[in-house]
Amino acid sequence: MRINSRVRAAHIVGKSLSFPTMVLCLLWMMPNSAFADSSDELLFVRRVKPVLAAKCLPCHGENRDDIKGGLDLTDLTKTNRTGDSNEKVIIPGDAAHSPIYLAVTRHDSTWSAMPPKEADRLTNEQVAWVKLWIDQGAPWPDEVRTRELLSTADADSAADGVTVATSGGTSAGWTNRKYQVDGLWAYQPVRKPHTQATGAAAIDELIGRLMPDGVTLSPPADARTFIRRATFDLIGLPPTPDEVESFERQYAIDSDAAVGRLIDRLVASPHYGERMAQHWLDVVRYADSSGFANDYERGNAWRYRDYIVRAFNSDKPYDQFVREQIAGDELEPNNPEMLIATGFLRMGPWELTGMEVAKVARQRFLDDVTNSVGESFLAHALQCARCHDHKFDPIPTADYYAIQATFATTQIAEREAMFLPSENTSGFDEQRFLQRTRAGHLATLAAIDEKSLLAAAAWYIEQKLDVQPWKDAVESAGKNAKSKRGGIFGAARNSLLQKKIPEEKIPPRMVGLTAQDMGLARIANKGLERLAWELDRYRPYALSVYNGRTPTVKSVNAPLRVPDNPHQNGELEQTCILVGGDPFAAGKPVAPGLLSVIGRFSSEKSAGAAPAGVTVGQVNGRDEDQRLAEQQADQTPIAGRRRELAQWITDDKNPLTSRAIVNRIWMWHFGEPIAGNPNNFGSSGKRPTHPELLDWLAATLVEQRWSIKSLHRQIMSSAAYRRSAEHDDRESLMAIDPQGTSYASFKPRRLSAQELRDSMLSVTDELNRTLGGIPNRPEINFEAAMQPRQVMGTFASAWVPNPLPSQRHRRSLYSLKLRGLMDPALEVFNAPAPDFSCERRESSTIVPQVFLLFNSRASQSRALAFASRVLRESTTDDSAITKCFRLAFGRTPLASELQACKHHWSTMQVIQAQINFATQPIPLEVRRDAVEENSGERITFVEQLYANAEFVPDLLPQDCNARTRALADVCLVLLNSNEFAYIY
Amino acid sequence: MSTSDQESCAKASCLHDLMRQTLLRREYFYSLGAGLGSVALTALMARDTAADSESSPLATKPTHTNAKAKSCIFLMMEGGPSHIDTFDPKPALDKIHLQEFVREGEQKSAMESGKRYYVRSPFKFVKAGQSGADIAENWTHLANVADELCFFRGCQVDSVNHPTAMYQMNCGNRFGGDPGIGAWVTYGLGSENQDLPGFIVLPEVSYPQGGSANWSNGFLPAHFQGTPLRAKGSPILDLNPTPGTTRDHQRKNLDLLTKLNSEHAARHPGHDELWARMNSYELAFRMQMQVPEVLDISREDARTLEDYGIGKQSTDAFGRKCLLARKLVEQGVRFVQLYNGTWDSHDFIERAHGNLVSGVDQPIAALIGDLKRRGLLDSTLIVWCGEFGRSPDNGVRGGTAYGRDHNPKAMTVWLAGGGCRAGHTIGATDDLGMSAVEEVHHVRDFHVTLLRLLGLDDNRLTYFHAGRFKQLSQFGGQVIQPLIA
Repeated sequence: MRINSRVRAAHIVGKSLSFPTMVLCLLWMMPNSAFADSSDELLFVRRVKPVLAAKCLPCHGENRDDIKGGLDLTDLTKTNRTGDSNEKVIIPGDAAHSPIYLAVTRHDSTWSAMPPKEADRLTNEQVAWVKLWIDQGAPWPDEVRTRELLSTADADSAADGVTVATSGGTSAGWTNRKYQVDGLWAYQPVRKPHTQATGAAAIDELIGRLMPDGVTLSPPADARTFIRRATFDLIGLPPTPDEVESFERQYAIDSDAAVGRLIDRLVASPHYGERMAQHWLDVVRYADSSGFANDYERGNAWRYRDYIVRAFNSDKPYDQFVREQIAGDELEPNNPEMLIATGFLRMGPWELTGMEVAKVARQRFLDDVTNSVGESFLAHALQCARCHDHKFDPIPTADYYAIQATFATTQIAEREAMFLPSENTSGFDEQRFLQRTRAGHLATLAAIDEKSLLAAAAWYIEQKLDVQPWKDAVESAGKNAKSKRGGIFGAARNSLLQKKIPEEKIPPRMVGLTAQDMGLARIANKGLERLAWELDRYRPYALSVYNGRTPTVKSVNAPLRVPDNPHQNGELEQTCILVGGDPFAAGKPVAPGLLSVIGRFSSEKSAGAAPAGVTVGQVNGRDEDQRLAEQQADQTPIAGRRRELAQWITDDKNPLTSRAIVNRIWMWHFGEPIAGNPNNFGSSGKRPTHPELLDWLAATLVEQRWSIKSLHRQIMSSAAYRRSAEHDDRESLMAIDPQGTSYASFKPRRLSAQELRDSMLSVTDELNRTLGGIPNRPEINFEAAMQPRQVMGTFASAWVPNPLPSQRHRRSLYSLKLRGLMDPALEVFNAPAPDFSCERRESSTIVPQVFLLFNSRASQSRALAFASRVLRESTTDDSAITKCFRLAFGRTPLASELQACKHHWSTMQVIQAQINFATQPIPLEVRRDAVEENSGERITFVEQLYANAEFVPDLLPQDCNARTRALADVCLVLLNSNEFAYIY
Repeated sequence: MSTSDQESCAKASCLHDLMRQTLLRREYFYSLGAGLGSVALTALMARDTAADSESSPLATKPTHTNAKAKSCIFLMMEGGPSHIDTFDPKPALDKIHLQEFVREGEQKSAMESGKRYYVRSPFKFVKAGQSGADIAENWTHLANVADELCFFRGCQVDSVNHPTAMYQMNCGNRFGGDPGIGAWVTYGLGSENQDLPGFIVLPEVSYPQGGSANWSNGFLPAHFQGTPLRAKGSPILDLNPTPGTTRDHQRKNLDLLTKLNSEHAARHPGHDELWARMNSYELAFRMQMQVPEVLDISREDARTLEDYGIGKQSTDAFGRKCLLARKLVEQGVRFVQLYNGTWDSHDFIERAHGNLVSGVDQPIAALIGDLKRRGLLDSTLIVWCGEFGRSPDNGVRGGTAYGRDHNPKAMTVWLAGGGCRAGHTIGATDDLGMSAVEEVHHVRDFHVTLLRLLGLDDNRLTYFHAGRFKQLSQFGGQVIQPLIA
């Protein structure tokens, strides 16, 4: 971005005085200033006219054929000053009675609110300008005078906003429009602020600069609180009692050294990568299924999930991490890891059914990937520029399509990629259950085929037709069409149709079949289709992409492989600006490029596809750029486009990329980001509370070769991070810092959905800490697991848990994540749905959380396992309760707590002794009632739950004595307690 | 016991009492009322001060404009009912029955490949009521209340696939993840009854394509999420404790939890969220008693049950939903959405649609009549729709088993009560029912109109999310005036 030096000066001024305040002061001072005599005119030209242009003219002038309400506001000196109402809309000198003013205030009873959309409402400042202008006589200088006024504008004109050089919008008005400077912060180069201190102390220095006067700081957190906080932050699990005690001892000797060692230990833990991956997968919308009508499983998605874990664990430099996810296949085409990394490009929900127009579905992929790259790496939701030039930010629609052109030759496929030694490939033998299901479907189809063939023979007799051609067709079909869809009957029928035998002389397609048969056949066929996706899980393929022309595909109902000759066959897509985002309304062609508001960097090597469409700076050179872009659009090579884009994104000088990731990491530690919308650094996103700190972190990250682990060390060693969540005088703190952005006190947080489950498994010692591998299926609420769920043409299969407890009790990161079936226990604790990128998790307290955590069988199982473990590892009642507290909270119980828990234990033992538990067998099949979608007839079918035959339950109440069960009541309470759920 | 322990014990016991009192207050209640099961009865707690109610996210809020409708019952016929075979007769199809149909052009999808034929409707139509509304003759009960209905034949959607069209009809956005219309309405108006969720969903036993995202709160706060009352099994997941756990047993556990939590809160002063979470446990404990009472229809008289078709196999399931919908609206629930389906009749339309109609016809007519008798029809807007209509043509797959494919360009939706223009048919499709041609409106306009009938202005019903003011219509729309009385 290029803005003139005067603007930079204004930007610096703006630091001490917020920008709107500055503008208003300026305005109110005007009558006394040097241009007092022209101030009212200036007010109009600089302030009011742009407001009219942006807010009013779209309906009141721009479209000459459709002037709403008959009111034309293009030039009130030339046109009438009234609309259809025949009332003067402006009464010079009297804003309070001027309809225009009354309308923009939005709370007048006579004049309806304008602009009609709440989203378009004028800011308070803008309303104030309109009022002032009318009160001063509502002057409307002509064009000559306007130019004169603008040409004599002095340094203060920065307050008008600034123009920004981009590749240009679809209209000159957009290209030359002005932006408020403070909304452009993210495009400024990162400048590391000067600090007296270095390292973590610099963070505190920068926070200190903005600390409100009179704030007292919370003291450092005590050792136990700190290790709990740090351990959850970095590995998502509670510290063990031994870890807590050891840290407490070290902390007492040398707290700084102890903290340093603790962080080193935690970032070296293999579980560090799991914790970070959970954060990253929220951003990229990870799921193991495709969503929408079919919600097919994405058998290979898990390899991308594990790639993320490995990347964080090895402290892969973040710039490299980004490049691999965008262009791994181009960087190292023969490295399976790199093919896996591009799974990022496949994370959005996507499918192509026969119902949909293929081009529309293809465009959905392109739009998804374009926006996802913007949100994930550049903190910009680019979709706003899909249908038009961006309304708020300097992102022309041409830039959107320039980035999209990068992906015009990117095709989706499940690509062959050998398993790596670092991947966990255990547990593949579970596919035997799927094979049984497959055999069941094939048997169903064979039986129906048999029935059809018998009915066909009968049909010939009934119709008194010669059966010989049919017999011949059946015989030849039987040789080669055994497993084909439709079976022998279908193949025979098709062969007769191909011989042009009239349809009425061939047995009807459904001859002899009942609605039940038809339903079963459909379910079996769809079942086979769905299994193909699931079975891909155990094969060396990666959810990936390749470069090539766009193949002709009508529907996608099996995993896609790379076709032969991808560079020769299919359509070479030429990206064009799509007018209104409509895939059938191609506008001007666009070459691959980048965000022109940032522009190219001098350090960048210009190779291959030079995106000339984004030459920066020449606002007036647009036609030339366009011509060049069109020329180059044709010539851009098929391969290498993504590498170009990735190099630009990860250039050390790209101000968006480094700021975006440090802002996320900061939020992962403090609960609050520095810039409030981690996916939106544009003018409508929240401004950074500590811009210098953000830049210091971004610059430091790049200096330290993009090492994320180094960043954790610095952030977590800061005094701000080490502060206690308790404060001596919270009331006055709240008064001075109501938004809680001073970092004077640490902000506690509730455990996330996954942390909560993992912590429970951890304290009960059930957690299987194995890293990576195929997704597992823990037990979820039984009714949700059996809930019939419609997918295209059939029901999705039931949720069948893994047979063995150790398989089920893996970290929540590994739980099979289906878009159509969220685990209610995760959903209710604010785990985000994978439809949209989640920039930040919510943490709300709602009643269903209680049902899940207090009533569920899962919680009962954890409580039993907890009690049973504690009894195994302790000798006396006192030591058992103490053990519970140490495991759950990392501390010993107070005497009152010990007393209360022991008392409860003995009380409950009496109650527990009276309960008889019935054994509830796990079902081996589930009967589904359905209205067959085509016939409208009711049908039933049975789904076999093969894995349940080998199911080994968790510890059951009937396997425990009353004493254990009674202690489990205590444990259930501890697991539900606030102390367990919150970290401070 | 050491002195400090005694002190903290005394402090905690004092807090314990305070806690007990606080639990009777309702200030946190509403902030808890979301997700799968925030159901409680009016009797749950005495009504509190106005100040308390105002602080609640579900507190009633003033409408933007005057409106008759206070609540909405939304009958979602998922799968896409055929307008041609229900409320939009196309005699022209009789003449070209089984003539070949060919679609060409860029919008052609695989659905239109293979041989296709025009298909006439197997259903005869009648002119029902004083208004002479076109209704297929198998809607025998609905025909009796025809004059209460306002048919709209001009609605169009963008998507030809079920889940994306469902998302668009329910949430305005084709891709899911946005708030459902019930969430928007509850966000805009709050709810009359503070003890029940403002937005309740009565789904089919099997969830529709797209799943629970169809009644999501999206980016709105969790309090506005649709609460499904499941048709089978526990109405709300894990509403009750595991078998063998009595209420007394659970109370004892809860008492220990309260004690530990109170002491913990005393050590962490100033963190309000701790108290909110403590309250949620007490509330849940009460709710598990009360929910079954809300769902109990056994106290309705025999005549009412019979009217709704309860006890008759074909109508029992939907009849129960319709009756429950009336009860919920009576109790001040703002928005109730009922699912029925699937209406996706690609083949055998006579049998498929025939069965579906016989399942909903009587219950829907009973609901309209019942609301009217109780004087609630004016204040209750009833919406009947699917996610799209169906095509006049079909790839004849089963020889003579004619059905219809999806059609986003033509459909019939109807309204009843709530200030709609009853007794009128608005808009029209072409002679074959292929596309809307009169009073043609994108579904966003239909949404804007529904909001208007409920006193909400789509342009003002906005929520700032991800850097933009978002609204149900996505980018604004217009009111379809002819649908409003």
